[in-house]
Amino acid sequence: MTIVTELTDSLIIAKKEFKILSRKKALLIPLILFPIIMIVFFGYGMGGTVKEAPILIINDDTGRASSSLVQEIGSYTAKYDGSPMFSVTYTKDMSQSEAESKIDAGMYKGVLIIPPDYSDNVAKNENMTLTLLTDSSDVTTSSVIINFMRQLLAKAGSITLNVPNIYGNLEYLDFLIPGVIALTVFMGSVATTGSAIAGEKEDGTLVRMLMTPVSKRSVILGKTIYQLILQLGRAVILILAAYFLLGFNMNGSWLLVSLVLVIFTLGGVGMGIVMSTMVEDMESFFQLNMLVTMPAMFVTGVFFPLSSVPDWMRYIAYCLPLTYAIDAMRTIMIKGQGLNAVSTDLIILSLFAIITFTAGVHLFRREA
Amino acid sequence: MEPIIEVRNLVKRFHSRGREITAVNDVSFDVFKGEIFGMIGPNGAGKSTTFSVLTTLLKPTKGSVKVAGFDVEKEDDRIRPIIGIVPQKLSLYPLLTARENLELMGNLYNVPKKIMEERIDYYLKLVGLEASADRFTGGFSGGMKQRLSVISAVIHDPEILFWDEPSTGLDPQTRNVIWKLAKKFNGEGKTLIFTTHYMEEADNLCDRVAVMDLGKMVALDDPERLKENTGSTNLEEVFVHFTGAEVRD
Ligand SMILES: Nc1ncnc2c1ncn2[C@@H]1O[C@H](COP(=O)(O)OP(=O)(O)OP(=O)(O)O)[C@@H](O)[C@H]1O
Ligand SMILES: [Mg+2]
Repeated sequence: MTIVTELTDSLIIAKKEFKILSRKKALLIPLILFPIIMIVFFGYGMGGTVKEAPILIINDDTGRASSSLVQEIGSYTAKYDGSPMFSVTYTKDMSQSEAESKIDAGMYKGVLIIPPDYSDNVAKNENMTLTLLTDSSDVTTSSVIINFMRQLLAKAGSITLNVPNIYGNLEYLDFLIPGVIALTVFMGSVATTGSAIAGEKEDGTLVRMLMTPVSKRSVILGKTIYQLILQLGRAVILILAAYFLLGFNMNGSWLLVSLVLVIFTLGGVGMGIVMSTMVEDMESFFQLNMLVTMPAMFVTGVFFPLSSVPDWMRYIAYCLPLTYAIDAMRTIMIKGQGLNAVSTDLIILSLFAIITFTAGVHLFRREA
Repeated sequence: MEPIIEVRNLVKRFHSRGREITAVNDVSFDVFKGEIFGMIGPNGAGKSTTFSVLTTLLKPTKGSVKVAGFDVEKEDDRIRPIIGIVPQKLSLYPLLTARENLELMGNLYNVPKKIMEERIDYYLKLVGLEASADRFTGGFSGGMKQRLSVISAVIHDPEILFWDEPSTGLDPQTRNVIWKLAKKFNGEGKTLIFTTHYMEEADNLCDRVAVMDLGKMVALDDPERLKENTGSTNLEEVFVHFTGAEVRD
């Protein structure tokens, strides 16, 4: 059995997988659309922009600078549609603790406190610090408010923003998209690999395949080639959709993103193979799949930052490979960092791929 | 006569849920080149398991098996290309057409494209599936699927054919087609080993019949002699003679 025949065999198998996939219309559509829907749904529904968020401005200053600041905040219009981003209420002489209690009560998403000497300081161009309180239970809105205030105050003068409970200065979508891509690739590679094998077990075609001269290695290689093409294709579609639909900008290297996704897909394929060896049919595979991918989806910080979850949850997240894939994707795609910044993630993901793949090949016996 | 398959003291055990099952228990026999060799026996007798070992899908627990002079454990890659298998469980891709299923098999056996297409057209016609060649097999009747299974096992022109219950659950017409194919392939010099639960099928087709029961081979001879030696008028009686009247688990 030469390498050339093994490769030819695996390409025959990869081609067969694509042909069958192209006929599973009911699978094909969600496979492509699901992540896009997820981004649009979460992106618009939960974040990305903020519409008429109630904020309170405690203005203890009477000068011109503060009133122009206040006006600018009130009239700011979100880039997605016509409604103003904030609905502003004004007051003065309110203590910080009283303001906090109003946020606790859910009356405001944010409170900006302008001190009495604001206009004077702006005029003298002196350094100063404003306090911005936000409802950090609503990570999306508070992050948008913080982000917006930062930009606005940077224009007004040398003003530092003191944000108790700081979460970050990202827009939610920027945060969401790399995570959704990693999640999509993970769920996709595990589920399509595993269910295809489980289905072939059910149909008897797997055993039939293993009776041919084709080696077990070629069968696995063929399925892997197919998955790599499929998952990378989905990631590209997702990034393009995010770019055209939501104005998402990719800051980092495509090559590096591909590298992360290739390694992670290998891990996912290995995992799918391992899981498929534990079941005899599709139905049981999907039950098992639920058990494995659902927690990963909610624990690993696709939808919220790990810094905002309780310790125990964070420790679980650190045990899941998806966490490192998400971290690597964010580091590359948003922060625009290079190989050094993601080397630890890559090492962990490679280990994951090696372990699951070795186990998968081992378990995927002739007797499968 | 020249043996093409030599089975010596074959034992196959399974470990399943903490239980040990001896599916094949010290079986020895030869299959001769060019013969039609039938295997009969109650459910669970070990027929399919024997097939799996002979077709290199399962490794023997003990004993030695040679197919066309090659050892099933060490030289399975020499055996696979020269055998054609129709498994007991149907195994077609439901979302591929009949032709695509055949092409996949041809490709996996590395049959040159031109020869493959010729054979596919020829065999599709032979079993009356030419009109359904481009339909998904998921929508085929049981008989159509089985006809397709049988021809998909000869696309690479194997020397030895293994058919595990090729006619179970089929109507008389389809069974007739299968019998004709058996005789045709055998006439071309191929050795055919098959299992069946239809005694008259074994009687009509086989040069020799092996009776298996509880993992043992309890009889092996040509059908006429089997009947003679047991004082039976048909193979059904031979079967009961060797395996008893009780239902097996
Ligand atoms: N993979 C396996 N794991 C555990 N036990 C098995 C396995 N395959 C077969 N057996 C057991 O081995 C015994 C022989 O089974 P086998 O399928 O060879 O019988 P058979 O003669 O082909 O029966 P049938 O006529 O019903 O097809 C049975 O008891 C069966 O339960
Ligand atoms: Mg059987």
